[in-house]
Amino acid sequence: MPSDSFNPFRVIPVLLLEEGRLVKTIRFSKPSYVGDLINSVRIFNEKEVDELAILDIGASKRGLSPNFDLIKDVTNECFMPLAYGGGISDANQVRKLVEMGVEKVIINSAAMARPALVSEAAKEVGSQSVVVSIDIKKTLFGGYQARSVSGTKKVAAASLQALVKDFVEAGAGEILLNNIDRDGTLLGYDHALLKQVCTVASVPVISCGGAADVADLGKAVAQSGASACAAGALFTFRGPHRAVLLSYPKPAEVNEALRTSSIP
Amino acid sequence: MKTRPYQICTHCVMDTSDPEIVFDSAGVCNHCHDFEHHQKPQLIGGSAGAVALDAIVTQIKEQGKGQEYDCIIGISGGVDSSYVAYRVLELGLRPLAVHVDTGWNSELAVSNIEKIVSALGIDLHTTVIDWEEMRDLQLAFLRSGVANCDVPQDHTFVAVLFKLAARKSIRWIISGHNLQTESILPEAWGYTSIDRKHLRSIHNLYGSRPLRTFPTYSLFDYTFYWPFVKRNKILKMLNFEDYNKQSAKQFLIERFGWRDYGGKHYESRFTKFFQSYYLPKKFGFDKRRAHLASLVVSGQLSREAALSELELPPYNEAEAAEDCSFVAKKLGINKSELESIIAASPKTYRDYPSNADLIDRLLRVKAKLARLLRSDK
Repeated sequence: MPSDSFNPFRVIPVLLLEEGRLVKTIRFSKPSYVGDLINSVRIFNEKEVDELAILDIGASKRGLSPNFDLIKDVTNECFMPLAYGGGISDANQVRKLVEMGVEKVIINSAAMARPALVSEAAKEVGSQSVVVSIDIKKTLFGGYQARSVSGTKKVAAASLQALVKDFVEAGAGEILLNNIDRDGTLLGYDHALLKQVCTVASVPVISCGGAADVADLGKAVAQSGASACAAGALFTFRGPHRAVLLSYPKPAEVNEALRTSSIP
Repeated sequence: MKTRPYQICTHCVMDTSDPEIVFDSAGVCNHCHDFEHHQKPQLIGGSAGAVALDAIVTQIKEQGKGQEYDCIIGISGGVDSSYVAYRVLELGLRPLAVHVDTGWNSELAVSNIEKIVSALGIDLHTTVIDWEEMRDLQLAFLRSGVANCDVPQDHTFVAVLFKLAARKSIRWIISGHNLQTESILPEAWGYTSIDRKHLRSIHNLYGSRPLRTFPTYSLFDYTFYWPFVKRNKILKMLNFEDYNKQSAKQFLIERFGWRDYGGKHYESRFTKFFQSYYLPKKFGFDKRRAHLASLVVSGQLSREAALSELELPPYNEAEAAEDCSFVAKKLGINKSELESIIAASPKTYRDYPSNADLIDRLLRVKAKLARLLRSDK
């Protein structure tokens, strides 16, 4: 029987940054301003979240490096494990981030352009600290297409499953599966997509994009094979007016969601 | 400043830390007299209060027919606004709860709001103030050296509520202000937040980026456009019941799992720093004194209990140091700059352009106009 004082799997709020401002997108576009980064980090800190992910969604698009000053401010404030992604393009940056107190680096665009970066990063800081984010968009024909550079560029790959395997082989310690079509919609994870990826990935897969409620998180782990769940809108907005109000479920709720979803 | 001998009111706990305080021959202060003559008559508790409130509630329901919401309530996570949310639902009203996020929310504030709105099923709207503008304005006020550095939060809060009311055609705004717990506040301790000219003049002098999106309002909005054109009305509903802060807190804790945050208005991290540390340290104003005095005059606290609470220091050194470093970091200045701001000699609002005289006159005209309109009916 899992203890109700801990989450049975990692539940990760995702904060998006664009030019230093905290935003939330819908399907990777229409960024709306949701407040101050440092205060939001502080609030999640006090909510004792398992892990926090910060993604700078403007960095790669604009060809910028990570904003190290800003990240330093965050790591100073942040007592929980922090994952950072956005604008990472070489192993030196990876090492610098980890030295600053970032627990895990999340690589997307640069890894898609140059997969060798994943093994270089893993060599530098260890696989356990390297997360490869794969952004997925459904194709017109119902297949899944990986994309990079904030969803704007198609990634050439034999298949999604082959892409996942390649990154795991290269040294990715985790896969962050980010669903562009569901992002910010609160419509629920795409569990079919999740299953496809989880069956081939030998490392933890973090589900991201569309989480509807706590039950959906339980389902992702119990039925679709995810190891952890990430969500932005779910922990940022509340109610029909999408009112900004940061929240995080209690371990008892997460345990309950997992139990309910585990019943065959 | 000329020094005067220390004196404390024999009835409440206000003292000469209010430079404008006046005592009668029995040693009772002007605040006590003011409460007795002007504010106490507005407090209608018991069954008379219930009847009066019921009549207003009927009117609100009538005027809100066919609308999605019939009233707006501000919600901060503090005790007064949380209790109002509960009471409004109990009275059968259909409120839209509005929260203004100025970037200073504590975790306690957001979780209290979450508990209240989800338990009661109230729709929430949040206006998020652009933090870079908020930061710039807040810093400008601190650098100006005036006492009321909470003007930016207070001003924009009112702007957001009324603008949203206008946009959604909601007439009534139900407020948690109440005379039982906040009747006394010396004017010398801080200038009004309704004066946009004052806000802008301080920002022009000490700010460094334009306020493009920061919600503000004019004196014209406040004294004429909202009340007479938009016909917005404010209901301070707690004045119609025997509102007791302590029992309201207890009730919220038991019913909603609401959590207490210590001092008054400490749901905002800035306000906590400002009231518990900045004001006592820089100006010698201890807002607890006014809050406790209010409770004493309304009979919710004995004078002895208030005095013994005032024996405790307004802040604890370790906590104040932590608050200072957080505030400095949030404002993007180093700790020594914040320390020098606190150490600089105090200024008053009169050192900066303001509409103080105009406000005085306008408020008198507004009151007269409101009386005329009432007698018309």
